Amino acid sequence: MASLPVHGNARNTDGDRGLRAWWSRSERKVVPYVFISPFYILFIVFSVGPLVYALYLSLHRWPGTGPMRHVGLGNYTYLAGDPVFLKSLWNTVYYAVGAFLFILPLALVLALLINSTLIRIKSLFRIGYFLPILTSTVAATIMFLLIFNNEFGLINQGLASLGIPALKWLDEELVKISVLAVVTWRYTGINVLYFLTGLQSIPPELYEAAQVDGAGTWAQFRYITLPQLRPIALFVGVVTMIGSFQLFAEPMLLANGGPNDASLTIANYLYRMGFTNAKLGYGSAIGWVLALIIFGLSFIQLYLFGAFRKED
Amino acid sequence: MNGSLTVRAQRTIAYGFLFFILISMATPFVWMISNTFKEQSQIFERQPTLIPEEPHLRNYVSLFVDFDFHKHFLNSAFIAVVHTFSHLFLASLAGFAFAKYNFPLKNFLFLILLGSMMVPLYTIFIPLFVLVIRLGLVNSYAGVIIPGVAGAFGIFFMKQSMEAVPGELLDSARIDGASEFRIYWQIALPLVRPALAVLAVLAFMGSWNDFVWPLVVLRSRELQTLPVVMAGMVSLYRMEYGVVMAASLLSTIPILLLFLVLQKQFLAGLTVGAVKS
Repeated sequence: MASLPVHGNARNTDGDRGLRAWWSRSERKVVPYVFISPFYILFIVFSVGPLVYALYLSLHRWPGTGPMRHVGLGNYTYLAGDPVFLKSLWNTVYYAVGAFLFILPLALVLALLINSTLIRIKSLFRIGYFLPILTSTVAATIMFLLIFNNEFGLINQGLASLGIPALKWLDEELVKISVLAVVTWRYTGINVLYFLTGLQSIPPELYEAAQVDGAGTWAQFRYITLPQLRPIALFVGVVTMIGSFQLFAEPMLLANGGPNDASLTIANYLYRMGFTNAKLGYGSAIGWVLALIIFGLSFIQLYLFGAFRKED
Repeated sequence: MNGSLTVRAQRTIAYGFLFFILISMATPFVWMISNTFKEQSQIFERQPTLIPEEPHLRNYVSLFVDFDFHKHFLNSAFIAVVHTFSHLFLASLAGFAFAKYNFPLKNFLFLILLGSMMVPLYTIFIPLFVLVIRLGLVNSYAGVIIPGVAGAFGIFFMKQSMEAVPGELLDSARIDGASEFRIYWQIALPLVRPALAVLAVLAFMGSWNDFVWPLVVLRSRELQTLPVVMAGMVSLYRMEYGVVMAASLLSTIPILLLFLVLQKQFLAGLTVGAVKS
């Protein structure tokens, strides 16, 4: 489609023929670079460039227009003592730890049950748990406005009908739990699928051999299932951590980051600084700190799970 | 570990737990549907009722009349369709190159590609926005689509399936004088159709549900996508819960329909990262 067959065009001029001859010799050398170039052009323009520019901006004070003022590491030192940033950092860590404590064990238990011989109708659960991930974070969070509303939320209505006083799900004390509930609702099912993939890739011979040796259910789980799940657990762990540190829509829509910044994440604070308050330098510094945290934690997880160890 | 429990009892407990979680997960969704048929005053009632006493469609009417739902729906659809086709083209083309050619720096370039997935969106968020303004792409669909159109994951994914395309097939086409692009387009691409379908559902869903980037790029209301408009409805001073719930429900339906038709592709697509790890 892009070029016609080279041979058999007797009407060509000499120069044209030379060009065609060159192309027929070089096409296979040049073409792969042409095919992959859109990615690298877009990557350089829209990722590498902004990454470097973010570092540059983070060393300046700039409201988005007019001249920039160089402040050295001023934004970073200010960040270290900014109570709202530290609060958002704490909240984000809270969400990440909560995701590890709620979502991953729940997903693992559900996957183990679905995978066990006890359960026959597997796909109902597999697919049922999976459906929430199809919703957008916006639609999902909106749904939960009806669940957690302090006055007419479904949970409080349910508690009231049992004669239990209402809890303020969106107030400072509980709002982080509510955010975690939305996150758990949306992401448990996909992690069930990840764990199921891992469970199904365990060679059945391992269990057969263990049974021959007289290993009980618990021993099989402890010494076969868990170690064999390590690669998938590493994947799930890294994905969960990276996702948790970039939470944005759930706290924003459920409680607007509040009350009193109690649900605010790092990403929410970055947005507030960069877009609402037009502190582009400060916002960029937050972005770089976030990147360093994510890189650091990914590295630690890979290290702990021995991904760097030479095996096999 | 517990020989005391009969298999029957174990099975009952297992099913009980699985159904309990399933019902818990379905509840918010069912409750949302129920509330789209209620008046604001009925939503605020103390006694929850699953089936509204006088169900009505006023929330849906208001959604289209007062909030131009159909226009934002079309905006979302347009962006998602353009994004999906462009992404499939660029990803399969680059995946084909990585799978079927040997060229200097190939491994190095592929490593960069994998590394690019590590860049957190929020780190480049502010400068990317400045760049999009400078390029005159702010408040345009191009500004929403172009920065993310050649995602590394798609290339990585397509490379895997392109590797299964037999090289002899490509060579015999070369002997017949086909250009390299034509070999990609007419021979390789039709052979990886299943993988393209998987990537298509991922790309479409990602774009359809995307929120933060369209939120900052699309300034004028008539261009905005569904998630952006829905978020705006939530922050209104007097939020109409029924209308917001109706918007939330209707915005989810296209993906649910797509899922019903292409279930296998969805499940394969969403676990592909895990398998490949």
